[in-house]
Formats: sequence, C-alpha cells, structure tokens
Amino acid sequence: MAKVQKRVWLTFGNRSLVEKPILWRMARAHPDVSFDIRQASVTAEIGIMAVLFEGEADDVCQALKFLTSAGLTVEPIEKNMIES
Amino acid sequence: MSYVRGLKCRECGQNYPEKGVHVCETCFGPLEVQYDYAAMRGKVTRESIEAGPRNLWRYRDLLPIHGEPKSGLHSGLTPLKRARNLEKVLGVRELYIKDDAANYPTWSYKERVVSVAITKAIELGYDTVGCASTGNLANSVAAHAAEAGLRAFVMIPHDLEQGKVLGSLIFNPTMVRIQGNYDDVNRLCSEIADKYRWAIVNVNLRPFYTEGAKTFGFEIAEQMGWQLPKHTVCPTAGGTILPKIYKGYRELIDLGIVADNQPRIYSAQAAGCNPVVEAIRAGRDLIKPQKPKTIAKSIAIGNPADGFYVVQAVKESGGWGEDATDTEIVDAIKLLARTEGTWTEPAGGTTLAATIKLIESGRIPRDESICVCITGNGLKTVEVVVDQLEPPASIPPSLEAFDALMAGRESVDPAPASV
Repeated sequence: MAKVQKRVWLTFGNRSLVEKPILWRMARAHPDVSFDIRQASVTAEIGIMAVLFEGEADDVCQALKFLTSAGLTVEPIEKNMIES
Repeated sequence: MSYVRGLKCRECGQNYPEKGVHVCETCFGPLEVQYDYAAMRGKVTRESIEAGPRNLWRYRDLLPIHGEPKSGLHSGLTPLKRARNLEKVLGVRELYIKDDAANYPTWSYKERVVSVAITKAIELGYDTVGCASTGNLANSVAAHAAEAGLRAFVMIPHDLEQGKVLGSLIFNPTMVRIQGNYDDVNRLCSEIADKYRWAIVNVNLRPFYTEGAKTFGFEIAEQMGWQLPKHTVCPTAGGTILPKIYKGYRELIDLGIVADNQPRIYSAQAAGCNPVVEAIRAGRDLIKPQKPKTIAKSIAIGNPADGFYVVQAVKESGGWGEDATDTEIVDAIKLLARTEGTWTEPAGGTTLAATIKLIESGRIPRDESICVCITGNGLKTVEVVVDQLEPPASIPPSLEAFDALMAGRESVDPAPASV
C-alpha cells in the first residue's frame, strides 16, 4: 500500500488532556506511523498542535482514531471548511 | 496595474508565489496575500477609487488580481443605511446598517469573497471551482461559476433541507450530498481538496478569497464620506470577514485615504456556538472547538479556520466579543425589520443582538458612531421566524367587518409611536 500524509490540528481541550502523554501513547500503539509537529501552542488549559502524520493509509487512520478516542479533537488542517 | 507581490505565511513568514495553496508547507500556518503598499502611495487615492466601476472592483488595486475582473461585475456597493429609527429605540447617536442582504446575485456578503476567488481561479488556469457549504457560499459559488462559464462542484451534508439546496441547484452546479456527520463531511472535503486539482474557493484559494471581504470595510468607509465608524460589530463564523474588514480599515488609514480614528471591531456569535467570544472573554488566543447548537446555522462553526485572527484583530483594535441567545437573535431580526425595513438572516440578528448588549453594558458608548454588519438575507431562513410572527386577521368581505376589526385594534393598539 502507498504511504499517505495527513496534516491535522490536534486540540487538547482541557487541563486533563494537556497533562497526559497522549502522543507518546499513540506512538507506542502505532509504531509504524510517524508524526512531525510543525506548530504548537500549549497552555495549562488548552493545547493545539499542527501535526503531519505519515504511514500506510489504514495505520494513519487507526492512529487518528486512537487520538480521538483519547479525547483529542482531530481536524484537517483547514479546520471547519463547511461554510454557510 | 497590480500591486500584488505573492503570498506569505502569517506564522513563520515564508514567502510563496501566487498559486492555489493555502497553508505553509513548513509550519502549516495560513498564507496571506502581500502587496507593495509603498508603490500604492499617491496612486491609490479617494479619487482613483471613485473613478472605478460601480461595483466591488472599484477597490481592485487593493485586491489580489492582475488582469481584468471576471466575476462580480454587479456585486458589492450595497446600501449603508443611517438607521435613525433604530437609533431612537436603542438611544444611540449615530448608527449605520451595512446591508449585504442586498448583495447581488445571491444576497449575501459571500458575493465579495467568491467574486475575487472566481476571478483568481480563472487567472490561475482552473476550469473547475468548488466549495463545501450549507447555504450562502454554495449559492454564490454556483451563481458566479455559471456566469463565468466554469464547472462548479458543491459538497453538502446529506440531510440539508430542500430549500437550502434549491438556492444553489438552480444554477446547475454538480451537487454531491455526503453521508455522515459534520466531521465526516468536513474530513472528506479536505481530502477532495487535496486530491483533485480544483479551485476550492474557501480552501486552496482561501488567501485570495478572504481578501474579497475587505471590500465590505472599504465600502463602509467610502459610503460614510471617507470616514470610519468608531465601532464596527461583525458576525463571526469561519473568521473570514472580521479580520479582513479590520485589515481594510488599516489599509485605508495607512494609505492616507481616511483619518485614523482608532476604529474598534467587535465579534458577534450565537451563544450556542461562541468559541471566539469565549476565547476573548477568557483572555485566550487559542480557540476551544465547540459543537454548535443554535438557530444561527450560517455562523455555527465550532472551530473557525481563522478564529485566532479574529481574536487578534479584536484585541488589537480594543474591541470585544458578545454573544446572543436564540431568543435574542429572533427578537433582533424582528426589531431590525420593523424599524429599518431590513430582513436579515440569523447571522444579522446575532450581530444586532450583540450590538445591543455591547451598548447596554457600556462597551460601546452611546454617543459614538456604530456600524452593524448585516451579511445575509432573511428570505433564506424563513423557518426561523415563521412561528414567531402574529398571524394576519381574517375577516368576511364587508366594510362592517373591517370597521369592527379596526375598532377592536384601536382599543388594544394605541396610536403608533413616532418611530
């Protein structure tokens, strides 16, 4: 299968999520998916990161599902593009 | 002559040539059009603008195109109304309504951004344009693409009401209903934009598209006799229009076209979807995504693409953010209609309701000029008010019945107030 790249925004929406090593856990659970943090802004209450994920399509999909189920908001780099 | 000098990342400053690209390859920050403002000085003037066409392209020197405009030749120059009746009701000295409910051809402010995007799409060699939209944007893309002879793809959620679909379908775009929830549709639209070489106006043409929103601010300034309102209240959805109105004001100030009265800009959102207002109140730059729950669907965007820049513009100007409940939104729609004869969609109701709260809280002084930005037309959202209006009386076809009705009304309805 061909490798794919996904550019996403991850939002850690509260203090509890900010203080958990969620990306580390994702990397342990999905070792074939690489991630590259291109931009990040983290405070005690909220964190956002622009991240490039790369790997087999299904692996990347599973890694992103892992992050969603951990409580992160995962959105395409365009964020919400469905306008009125 | 064009003053455009390419694109630049708003975060890391990396430069890019003009093409259909919207985020920086390095830091994924949004790209913005760069202009040679030094070259504009003395050439872009009140007179040069006033000599332009009677549409939004009279500001073309400040827009990102090189050739002749290809779309929107009848768009823009919408009414700026002195709202004297509303002034009396609200107890303020100087209030204006900038009314894009009257923007041709599909009756919203989207004509501005889409006109620029379609012209740019043609300049860049695209033959297909598209968007993901539930209303105004889809209407505008479909209409402008039809006139420009481009293929148009409109992606919509599968459960969108028929009435909303018709406003686009009449212009014969290829419309695709996408099954799934909002996030599924959003993700697929991102993948489509990535894979197909189309000009998705609010995605890969976003740097050019958003510049069109500056014309809303340019028109306010010109129609006020080359002055700026002290306070401008603007709805926030994806975050396109507010920072661009403010940018437009700053451009006019920096070019010496208007005096710097230190204009303040305010963000209005529905209480059921207020991520930007919530960030402003909390003193945060970062936006916490929300799941929308409001009747103001046209501005219900839970994680606005440019929300961060709305917060920046509001903070830099000294403005603020305010939200409105659904009841307040409907009340404001009705108030605007009965005092000024303008029927706006819930986005406009939100903006007026927020303005009222900003005045009542003292954030906006009653003796300074205020402009309320109306961005869409109420005829598209009749469902919001259909159960909120008093039904008409029904009488037999006789003068006696009419007289009896009038007598009854006069007993409960005193003479109308002067407003």
